[in-house]
Amino acid sequence: MTRAILILTAAILFAAIATADERPEPEVHGVFDGDPMYTLLPPDAIPAIRDPEYVIGEAAAAQMSPDEPVIGLARNGDAVCWSAWQLDHHEIVNDHIDGTAIAATW
Amino acid sequence: MVYARTHADSTLTFIVSGKLWRNSMIMQDVETGTLWSHITGEAMEGALAGAHLAMIPSVQTSWSEWVAAHPDTRVLHKPEEIRSSQYEAYFLNEDRAGMFNTEWLRERLTAKTLVHGLVDGVHALAVVDAALRDNDDLIVTLGEHTVRVRRDTDGGVIALRQEDGAELVVRTAFWFAWSGFYPRTQVVD
Repeated sequence: MTRAILILTAAILFAAIATADERPEPEVHGVFDGDPMYTLLPPDAIPAIRDPEYVIGEAAAAQMSPDEPVIGLARNGDAVCWSAWQLDHHEIVNDHIDGTAIAATW
Repeated sequence: MVYARTHADSTLTFIVSGKLWRNSMIMQDVETGTLWSHITGEAMEGALAGAHLAMIPSVQTSWSEWVAAHPDTRVLHKPEEIRSSQYEAYFLNEDRAGMFNTEWLRERLTAKTLVHGLVDGVHALAVVDAALRDNDDLIVTLGEHTVRVRRDTDGGVIALRQEDGAELVVRTAFWFAWSGFYPRTQVVD
């Protein structure tokens, strides 16, 4: 299922690094719509990308694997994509497409 | 999920807040410190509480399918060392789903069934990935609307409202995450 490309959240990061027995008791920051908001890391501990740099053509092909999952967006001839493997490390890219300021989130 | 990162006339810059809600990331904007859900685009707490970011339709697919459909695409420059997912073991393990014991509808689908989610007001619908066959539209009902769902040539899943052809936002997620947000979701499988 090479198309098994997934919404990934910070939850997965924490789940990946801690087994059930080792998980710390998280601090409850507050409650929203009946469910707790947990604080696990300080702000910006996972660094969002603020000044994205892009490659195209052969340079793009050279850095990517054929089955690498991507999030893609095309508007008025401007096509852009972000590797999900890379987004694992950043979770947010602050970006522009076709003149619109956007945030790609993972 | 992709959002227009504007509120009123200002542009917002988002960082990862380090907080989680319903097993999903909470974002924070640098300009006001407001906390935002990355799943719903809603401002949860802070100066802009109650505001909503506009979602922009995007697709999740593979590089080979995307570049075949968009040969001129730009792609975010990636450091050499990122050559695989760091979560492979997590994805393959059905017993690990999110950080907390979210109550999902275990008996309906297995936790890591991949679904493509649609929302219209109070109506939520999850189309199981395996229900989509290539080159074949799936006709579904979402609230008052009839919607055509299909896998596009670039491998992404798109949804078009029958009456006016409007493209709807499709959110691809594991069942455990989707059903945590939309416990009353309908399922097409």
